[in-house]
Amino acid sequence: MQVVSVNGGEVCMRLMPQSWMIADDGAKEICTGVLYSLADSASGLAVFAEARELTPIATLDLRMDYFRSATTERALLAVAACRYLTDEIAFIHCNIFPEGDKQPVAAGSATFMRNTRGQRFQTTLGQKREA
Amino acid sequence: MSQRIDSLQPGPDLREGNNEYWQTLLERIPYARHLGLQAQQDSSGVWVHLPYQKSLIGNFMLPALHGGVLGALIEITARIAAHGKGAQASYPRILDSNINYLRSAQARSTFASAEVVRQGRRTSLVQVNCWQRERSVLIASGRVQLLLATTAGNQ
Repeated sequence: MQVVSVNGGEVCMRLMPQSWMIADDGAKEICTGVLYSLADSASGLAVFAEARELTPIATLDLRMDYFRSATTERALLAVAACRYLTDEIAFIHCNIFPEGDKQPVAAGSATFMRNTRGQRFQTTLGQKREA
Repeated sequence: MSQRIDSLQPGPDLREGNNEYWQTLLERIPYARHLGLQAQQDSSGVWVHLPYQKSLIGNFMLPALHGGVLGALIEITARIAAHGKGAQASYPRILDSNINYLRSAQARSTFASAEVVRQGRRTSLVQVNCWQRERSVLIASGRVQLLLATTAGNQ
């Protein structure tokens, strides 16, 4: 998973599908759990991008809608942006597209708690997220 | 296939309501194999064990498991539970999932149990609960809606 861009409050992350991400032997469909992880990561990053500070956050909930199946043929892009930010909560929306496609394969909506317990991050957006 | 195995040796019993049945369903999913998921069955229904691996950590500061991994665990558990009830050849397709994170997921083994809330003709709604140390202390819970595979086949 890599960060492609952070543009104001909108972030874009890219994931190149691997063979172990497949949903069923003999199929090309990617497991929805992988899309879920991608959306969770991009949404979390969008909180930092909007808030412009790296205080710890926690996912309160994440809802995903899977419109159609994603296949291993193309990279996946997750575009996430904050819809509303308060001191305590961030509401994020995220779309997942196959690279080069205008129609999303899935969309997610997440709520994050801000300033949760935990060590504050130093200087950069150095939080590595992998799944 | 099961008949041939049965005729040779005791082999896995692939009837629903049995550990091997659920494990066989899981092992058809490459991503479930990657996560090392193991299925178990007890009197309360099917549950799936996600063994702890360092690569599952999402927050190194706490440390806590990545929320996305819990999401994947919940979705896969729902998928095999809905599949088991319907007994179709192909897996049901996940339409949506709604997951609430109740507590921080610590760096340890995680379990998920599934309950089929409503089994319709075309869709199925599955409730999944996740816990770690104690079954009564939930760390996450989710509801997953699935479209069942019909003979006509969908996508």
